[in-house]
Amino acid sequence: MKSFIGRRAISSAVSLGGLIVLVFFLTRLTGDPTNLYLPLDAPMEARDNFRVLHGLNDPLIVQFGSYVYDVLHLDFGESIRKARPALEVVLEAFPWTLTLAVVTMGLVTLFAIIIGSLAAARVGGVFDRLSGIMSLIAASTPEFWVAIVGIFIFAVSLGWLPTSGTGTIWHWVLPITVLFIRPFGLILQVVRGSMISALSSPYVKTARAKGVRQRAIIFVHALRNGMLPVITVIGDQAAGMLNGAVVIETIFGFPGVGKLMIDSILQRDFSVVLASIMVTALAIFIMNLLIDLLYAVLDPRIRY
Amino acid sequence: MLEVPRHPALTIMKLLWADKFACIAALFLVLIVVCAAIGPYFLEDAASKLNLRGRNAPPFDWSQGWLFMLGADSLGRSILARIAVAAQNTILIASCAVFASLVIGGALGLIAGYSSRRLGDTIMRLADVIMSFPSLLLAVIVLYMMEPSVLNLVLVLAITRIPVYLRTTRAEVLEIRERMFVQAAIVMGASRMRIIFGHMLPIVVPTLITIGTLDFAFVMLAESALSFLGIGIQPPDITWGLMVSQGKAYLHQAWWLSFWPGIAIILTTMSLNLLSGWLRIVLDPVQRWRLEMGGKNND
Amino acid sequence: MRNLFACMFGVAVSAMSAAPTFAASNDVTIVLSEDLDVMDPCMSSRSNIGRVILQNISETLTELDGSGGGLRPRLAQSWEAVDDLTWRFHLREGVKFTDGSSFDAEDVAYSLERATSPKLSCEIGAKYFGGIELTPKIIDAHTIDFTAKVGQPILPLLMSSLTIVPSGLSPDAFMRVPVGTGPYVFKSRAIGQNIVLTRNNDYWGEKPDVENATYIFRSDIAVRAAMVQTGEADIAPSISQEDANNSATDFSYPNSETLYLRLDNEIPPLNDRRVREALNLAIDRDAFRGTVLPKDVILASQLVPPTTMGWNPDVPVQPYDLMKAKALLAEAKADGVPVETELELVGRANMFPGSTETMEAILSMLQEAGFNASLRNFDVAEWVNMYTKPYAENRGPQLIEAQHDNAKGDPVFTMYWKYHSQGEQSTISDPTVDSLIEAATSATGEEREQLWKKVAAEVNDRILSDAVLFHMVGFSRVSERLDFKPTISTNSELQLAQIKIK
Repeated sequence: MKSFIGRRAISSAVSLGGLIVLVFFLTRLTGDPTNLYLPLDAPMEARDNFRVLHGLNDPLIVQFGSYVYDVLHLDFGESIRKARPALEVVLEAFPWTLTLAVVTMGLVTLFAIIIGSLAAARVGGVFDRLSGIMSLIAASTPEFWVAIVGIFIFAVSLGWLPTSGTGTIWHWVLPITVLFIRPFGLILQVVRGSMISALSSPYVKTARAKGVRQRAIIFVHALRNGMLPVITVIGDQAAGMLNGAVVIETIFGFPGVGKLMIDSILQRDFSVVLASIMVTALAIFIMNLLIDLLYAVLDPRIRY
Repeated sequence: MLEVPRHPALTIMKLLWADKFACIAALFLVLIVVCAAIGPYFLEDAASKLNLRGRNAPPFDWSQGWLFMLGADSLGRSILARIAVAAQNTILIASCAVFASLVIGGALGLIAGYSSRRLGDTIMRLADVIMSFPSLLLAVIVLYMMEPSVLNLVLVLAITRIPVYLRTTRAEVLEIRERMFVQAAIVMGASRMRIIFGHMLPIVVPTLITIGTLDFAFVMLAESALSFLGIGIQPPDITWGLMVSQGKAYLHQAWWLSFWPGIAIILTTMSLNLLSGWLRIVLDPVQRWRLEMGGKNND
Repeated sequence: MRNLFACMFGVAVSAMSAAPTFAASNDVTIVLSEDLDVMDPCMSSRSNIGRVILQNISETLTELDGSGGGLRPRLAQSWEAVDDLTWRFHLREGVKFTDGSSFDAEDVAYSLERATSPKLSCEIGAKYFGGIELTPKIIDAHTIDFTAKVGQPILPLLMSSLTIVPSGLSPDAFMRVPVGTGPYVFKSRAIGQNIVLTRNNDYWGEKPDVENATYIFRSDIAVRAAMVQTGEADIAPSISQEDANNSATDFSYPNSETLYLRLDNEIPPLNDRRVREALNLAIDRDAFRGTVLPKDVILASQLVPPTTMGWNPDVPVQPYDLMKAKALLAEAKADGVPVETELELVGRANMFPGSTETMEAILSMLQEAGFNASLRNFDVAEWVNMYTKPYAENRGPQLIEAQHDNAKGDPVFTMYWKYHSQGEQSTISDPTVDSLIEAATSATGEEREQLWKKVAAEVNDRILSDAVLFHMVGFSRVSERLDFKPTISTNSELQLAQIKIK
């Protein structure tokens, strides 16, 4: 196990390095940000001066070299837009995103597994049909639509919740609910599908024959094996959220990393793009490692 | 199970008829495909004809004619005609992106799960890189350097969706590999190809198809988000996603602008899913009897 | 990593503990579209930074009255021209910065030096003082002269945008805590969440009504409007036409933006005046009012709004005349102008609410008149590179959607950049226009006004360089408990001192 984690750490470091090289050069391809930062009526000399100030005049390879040198000295560069260290900007935003992702995915996992398993227990039954339709609607509804309609209903008309923002625990209710819907619908379907296969597998039949109770069969025997693809999809959805729930962060005014990343891309604030990708990538790598370890826990036959 | 040999299409129709939900779903999908195929030729004009005075006309107002039964958009164009015309781009983008990512992701996942550890690890770390590369950044870069055409959009969406198929397939393969019948097949000297295609794919494919049908919705909505940021399909081209995102500004006054295309996305996803559920039963020898009984047994 | 955990803990605790705060009667909450990237007064020409800092924390020597009252004294009590090249400013006495130091001529000289410092790339310096060499001369503690290389008749107007900071401040790093002389002082900031200003009790002027002002940030327009409705905010400076549906709280105001299509006069067929005129005639400007765009937008004939000195009433708004457009196009075609070349409409994504619809409608109008046109929207970074020189070598005939903002009352902030052959966004090079612009820039009084009128007649009538469309309006939502009317300057500043509590 230890050697597995060690090996994984090294190979992940290599991927992170590759990711940085990729992102560095690809973002530079999206153009010189000088005109974007200076007012339209700035004279040519101000533009040249800006390029020199931010090292945009150097050849790309020189820029890359100095970036790598700085990163190795734990200096992730300065945000052009915010005139502050890029890493500081990212680390302020990341906890918001992480909290949103962890809470939401926790709830999604819990509810999707319970409801999905129950639906799979009686395929074609009323509960199955109903939860199927609900989850499909959930999986294919645009988030911003739910978010705005939710704000109009629960904040404006009923006055039960604040419209947006941060501060109290009530501020988290709407964003988490909206963020919950889509992965819930998706994962519920995956749980159902994979439970149907698991329930028809020989060992469940054996358990049934031995007279094990229905509930135990579903939640202990079948679930354990049916979980492998489920965990994978949960990981995929969680990765999406760690990269930022852009729509939710934008509408509800959460200062998370998703909105930061999009803004930085649109503003060509390269240091912040790189720093946020490094932070989120690290989180995603760690998550994938945990998922792989979980595979081995759930299915003792899997060895690394 | 002995069958009287019949024309296979007839058998399929009979099996479909046995599941009423799947039947309706299939009819709806046929309608969408017909729209996608011929809609643009017949309704292109109606979908792009400007009428600023009649903007945001409400739905179910029959005085304007059947084209306006779903209302008019913010430039007074028939929403019904636009949904029909947009079906082409939408279906093209979503199906190509899902198909490409499913096939590529599935194949890489099989390799990663069933080949040497070194190759498998390399593929998985590659998936990590793609997974942690924000899809919107990729979209900005690709669409910056190239035109925002249907093809490039498919490229972006397909790449970003590969990891989920890859990781799912690999996870299943790791598990199946250890099952008794696969071990037995290996001991009996079955070829790799035979094990992969004969034993693994039949178990992996249903899961991939479940994810794939749901991904249809995901891709359509992702495309909507791209359009909203000004980097996806651009007007005057239309997709359902674009219509949904353009209607956002009018949610308060004219809900129908984004509601109808949203419904189109939901119904398409739902139909695909019902049909894939049906397909799953048809392909599963253990379950198939349910349908052959004529669908009367609905336990 | 420890930093990260501390942050997470902070998030968790603040989620648990903070009780909802209800605004006390003298406090206001203002909801802006984005958090401020930097809080330095020398960047306050950016609209959200200006709305927090300008005239609230930092003041300027002169001030332009948003309701059309001309230039007023602020930190300067009076000013006069000493000779053709030199202006003298008499500064207000007894003014203190919020850091305790007192305000004098040294600070004015330093503020200009800092704003134009190449180490900072301050926006005010680049936008208003770029290419002007000013030499300050301190006469005494409260008198200062500025001498320019060439005559700058509008220097007092330029001074209405130079925010005054205390000397001794770091010249090569942006301030994190803004310091000024204004009626408000920076109190606290939670990045991404809010900024709080509080009343400056040592302020030299009148004591304003509002005691604390909290700025919060929401990118979504509908949410901003909803927040004023629910009482979570008091002022939302920019909402959309669609959300402005309550006459008691929602005000439209001219936002000083002019919408136009920048036609590329260098590329055929747009280098032919008949084609440009046909293009203008093909757009039914009136059809946009009250539909895609608010009913209060004004059809425009030139880039500067009618309140600007030198706006020319004789330049006509281009009418909608499809027959004539087709005839002109046919005439140009007969003369061998390649009118079939595909025109590229270049839109800017989300430039204003309804931007994409406007461009779609224009596209469809052009197609109806027989133009071969296509539309594509770009993100700002790409758009700005197409809009500004150097232009791409092998570009096609582009029609670029752009908004121009000139609330300063003088066309000098417009004409050079848009129409002089050396202007950064100009596509024309016409010796008459060049010399008229140069002459107008250094002229004064009646002569200046007449020269600017001539420039407008040249570019917007004789040459018909662009398709100028509308003077736009914005919408603000203001809580009924406040007495505050948005004006043309609400786009760039929001003076808390002007807010009265009912």
